[in-house]
Amino acid sequence: MSNQAPGVRIDGLTVVYKTPAGELPAVRGVTLTLEPGSITGIVGESGSGKSTLALSLLNAVQPPGRIAGGSVEIDGLGDVVGLRGEELRKARGKHIGYVFQAAQNSLNPLKTVGKQLLDLGRSHGVDDLRGLVREAKELLGRMGLDGARVLDSHQHELSGGMRQRVGIMLALVLNAHLVVLDEPTTALDMITQANILRIVREVHAERGLTTLVITHDIGVVAEVADRLAVMYGGRLVEQGPTREVLGAPRHPYTRGLIQAIPRLTGDIDEARALPGRPPTLVTVPKEGCVFRERCELRMDVCDTVDPEPVADGPRLVACHAVNSASASTTVATKEHA
Amino acid sequence: MITGTGVVKTFKQRGKVLGAREVRALRGVDFSIPKGGAASFIGESGCGKTTLGRIIAGLESYDEGEIVIDDVPMTPLRPKQRQPHFRKIQMIHQDPYSALNPTRTIHQTLYAPLSLRAKQTGRSAAWIEERAAEVLSLVGLDPGTVLGRYPHQLSGGMRQRVVIARALTVDPEMLVADEAVSMIDVSLRLGILALLKDLRERLGVSVLFITHDVATARYIGDDGELYVIYRGQVVERGPVDTVIADPVHPYTQSLLSAIPVLHGLERPGEEPVTPLSSLDESQSDEGCLFARRCPFQGERCADERPLLQLTEGVPQEHACFYPERRSVIARPMSEV
Repeated sequence: MSNQAPGVRIDGLTVVYKTPAGELPAVRGVTLTLEPGSITGIVGESGSGKSTLALSLLNAVQPPGRIAGGSVEIDGLGDVVGLRGEELRKARGKHIGYVFQAAQNSLNPLKTVGKQLLDLGRSHGVDDLRGLVREAKELLGRMGLDGARVLDSHQHELSGGMRQRVGIMLALVLNAHLVVLDEPTTALDMITQANILRIVREVHAERGLTTLVITHDIGVVAEVADRLAVMYGGRLVEQGPTREVLGAPRHPYTRGLIQAIPRLTGDIDEARALPGRPPTLVTVPKEGCVFRERCELRMDVCDTVDPEPVADGPRLVACHAVNSASASTTVATKEHA
Repeated sequence: MITGTGVVKTFKQRGKVLGAREVRALRGVDFSIPKGGAASFIGESGCGKTTLGRIIAGLESYDEGEIVIDDVPMTPLRPKQRQPHFRKIQMIHQDPYSALNPTRTIHQTLYAPLSLRAKQTGRSAAWIEERAAEVLSLVGLDPGTVLGRYPHQLSGGMRQRVVIARALTVDPEMLVADEAVSMIDVSLRLGILALLKDLRERLGVSVLFITHDVATARYIGDDGELYVIYRGQVVERGPVDTVIADPVHPYTQSLLSAIPVLHGLERPGEEPVTPLSSLDESQSDEGCLFARRCPFQGERCADERPLLQLTEGVPQEHACFYPERRSVIARPMSEV
């Protein structure tokens, strides 16, 4: 079971955080499928709920947060929302590898990487610790590092890019086939970032993984992901094959986000920032569309009705304006026929 | 006008076990930023760009060379005498979350430097209030709503604007923005870049932009100069748009090749350049500093250090024995 890339089906997932103003949703009614062997990228700004969504895959949302509804089905594990205690601890690491945001800072500064690797092995009941070290060296070597030297190092002796690779090694060394990378390249410079992204792609293909990449940077997703999902205010507003979404974004937020990326070529004045600011847990609208405050296509219905994602081939868009426009064109073409 | 010639900085670490270690952060850098102009320093982490920015802002000393601010050389001056000159240069840090005192309202944050200014120039308390509102309007914030607030009540983009407003309270001639947008939400980054450009145009403030993301350097003005820095040396220099379009140094080409391609919207360059290894400070100082990572290393590179020289056909300079044009940057599909 653990030698194949698993599929993941997130259905109607809602995660709430307890605040003085009551329980507020950070992720609301998200449905997303990760196909076995695919790389999916989730893009969102701060407060979009993307990291909370990723933590839900491990059922690791910490209080004051809790998963309030929905399910996360992972092949070979079942619904992880129902897993508890020892079962859950075993699933983490063995089935699901997680490379945390700022992996550069998530290593223990007092222990060498090798010692932390052995801790990991022992806590997961690995008998063949020598084999584990061999596997770790091989993985590090695969990523262009001197395995023996890295295992003997403390974190302060490693550069940011090296630490990130150590994070990836620790996520994969127990032979997990579902890997979640949360902001894998934040705080790295461009050359190191390109290097890490190449490694992610290659390791993904060689080991047969299902990979989820969480990032605020569309460029990162464009480089690695087959499928792109865009989050805003706890909702998935658009998803589809990466190239199609980038080439012809439909949701006004996706369009704005792509337009807001500084580019190397083209007219400088064409790029512009989105007006307004991303919502926080408290300011996100309770009803209606979460993006309407910043939207140029806003209609009356957006104030009251939250748009449901509507499928069009492999693409999904949750926007009243876009979906009513495409619905009327389909109707029109039908009438023509 | 701020110029530097042959700026050298070496950090000395006194190790207990391994003995003294030296890191050569800058190895003789020349630059010149005209009044109201723009310049960008780009390079990897650890290439010396931030050290140079800090030296220019007067936050770090330098070992050799000369910095001249408005025709006044800094080297002969005592630290106390340098202060009023370096005050004309204000730093905008990367992290707006830690750059503001969380226990002070925006009003208090702006009041401190303004009252000092008022004392020096003999102005009234009313002037302070007026000026506080003015600098906030300059950075695109509404003084009425922002003044009474604490930093945690503002978004990252608004905080960075407050930081810029605070820098403006002392009427600076230059802003040094060190990775000033890398912690801002993507949808708001361009707003901050546009603001820096706008301040240049409206107030004649010059901007020094320090970043590892070359693309953002374009947005503070296409009249800006781009300095590509590697291991403390300028390896390529010229107008921002021509350096991006026509780089001849393999290091510049590596930086440009590393920028993610928006597949579906763009086509990658045909000859991307990938360095052979990662930046390693312990690499040899002999010859060209980039030689050990350079895929195009030639005979002269191991023993000789190339100096900046004019590039043929463009108003650029490069420090490479074997300069060659390569198509490295992604282009929009619509252009092809």
